[in-house]
Amino acid sequence: MATTLSKLSKIAAAILITSVTLNAFAADLLDTVKSRGTLKVAMEGNYPPFNFKDPKSGELTGFEVDVAKLLAAKLGVKPEFTTTEWSGILAGLGAGKYDVILNQVGITPERQKAFDFSQPYTFSSAQLIVRKDEKRSFPTLESLKGYKLGLGQGTNFEQKAKAVSGIDVKTYPGSPEYLADLASGRIDAALNDRLLVGYLLKSSNLPLKAGATFGDIDKIGIPFQKGNPKFQAALNNALDDIQKDGSFKQVSFKWFGFDVSKAPAAQ
Amino acid sequence: MELLDLLQQAAPTLFRGVGYTLIFAVASMLGGLLLGFPLAIARIVPSRWAQWPATVYVSLMRGTPLLVQIFVIYYGLPSIGISFSPLTAGILALSLNAGAYLSESLRGAILGVHTGQWAASYSIGLNYWQTLRYVIIPQAIRIAVPSMSNTLISLIKDTSLVSVITVTELMLATKEVIAVTFRPLPLYLAAAAIYWCLSMCFERLQIRLERKLGQAHKSN
Repeated sequence: MATTLSKLSKIAAAILITSVTLNAFAADLLDTVKSRGTLKVAMEGNYPPFNFKDPKSGELTGFEVDVAKLLAAKLGVKPEFTTTEWSGILAGLGAGKYDVILNQVGITPERQKAFDFSQPYTFSSAQLIVRKDEKRSFPTLESLKGYKLGLGQGTNFEQKAKAVSGIDVKTYPGSPEYLADLASGRIDAALNDRLLVGYLLKSSNLPLKAGATFGDIDKIGIPFQKGNPKFQAALNNALDDIQKDGSFKQVSFKWFGFDVSKAPAAQ
Repeated sequence: MELLDLLQQAAPTLFRGVGYTLIFAVASMLGGLLLGFPLAIARIVPSRWAQWPATVYVSLMRGTPLLVQIFVIYYGLPSIGISFSPLTAGILALSLNAGAYLSESLRGAILGVHTGQWAASYSIGLNYWQTLRYVIIPQAIRIAVPSMSNTLISLIKDTSLVSVITVTELMLATKEVIAVTFRPLPLYLAAAAIYWCLSMCFERLQIRLERKLGQAHKSN
């Protein structure tokens, strides 16, 4: 599986580069979106509370669904949602299957080589999750050397943990899997977005608690294909607008109880 | 009971997923069969020009992971201007893949028909194509049914891979429910049970088909 995935990521990278170069000749995304009348938004759809299917109605809901609706309204179009797995989501953007991704995509130099980003719309940092009866203390990533750490495959957190040598990093398809493994003692800790941790612990009913947060701040933005300056300006304006009119803050409080557009210290 | 509540809550989502899984499986079976027959014939006819493209194709499709094929077709082809909807791309990838495996089952079965059958047909004045059409293939299909069924039943489970191209088939539907309920074990087991049920339906079809095709050989 590991070799398949590394093959896949190579193919995906090759695809991204080709499609990005081809796109340089296309019209600005803003014109495309306006004439189509819809903003095509991709998300995982299984990443609560950011974006997930409501178990009762089956409808897509969550923080990012609300943000996407606000942004589309400011752009004067309707949002059109696509849900797909994280493993294919960036490749799909590169291939032009949708216009933007709202899925807590961290702005990293590596991703900025392939895509342009909006200004950050949320700020977060990484946070550990440990078993409720955990006696050891893991105040920093370095203190996890020699221990098993579970996290999501292809996430920011994977790169962060792998940058520290000596941590036994176990990658999982999603948070339900590594939280179950953590609860059963097969791994020592798990790492995720601190915005997510509160929700996970509240809704999972597993004997887990929040651990240390790690200082460096993750900036979360909206990626789209390179070479669309008009779209970038319009998207950033829309983000400014929903900040100014208070609608972003309202959505943020609805899902998190604080304003996620402020840096973690101020939240 | 809590478990029942969970499954009851998950049921509508899972059944929507089953719908997609069935659409993909059945459409790809037809696509795979349409492709598998000419491929098998191409590999046995005495012409190099027919043989080698088919041989290369079968080797390529069996020698690369289905997941990579799905990625190439859905995410790769748009860069050269060919863009498919997720449904088309998924059915195409599964059909192209299954076709290669089905052609091998069929080729094995054609080669498994005794050479005496060829000699006998030629002796009564049938030519190559007539022999293939009226004598060999009817017998070969009967031999090929069990191994072709293998491929078709694998196909039902392979549909889980199309979740990477935005299709909420059974597997992705299951993950969506797990993401909000955090109960992986019962839900993965439920998905497994559904896949098993679907496969059993096709096993029943296989048995019926084998009986029907076997009748000609029992009656005399």
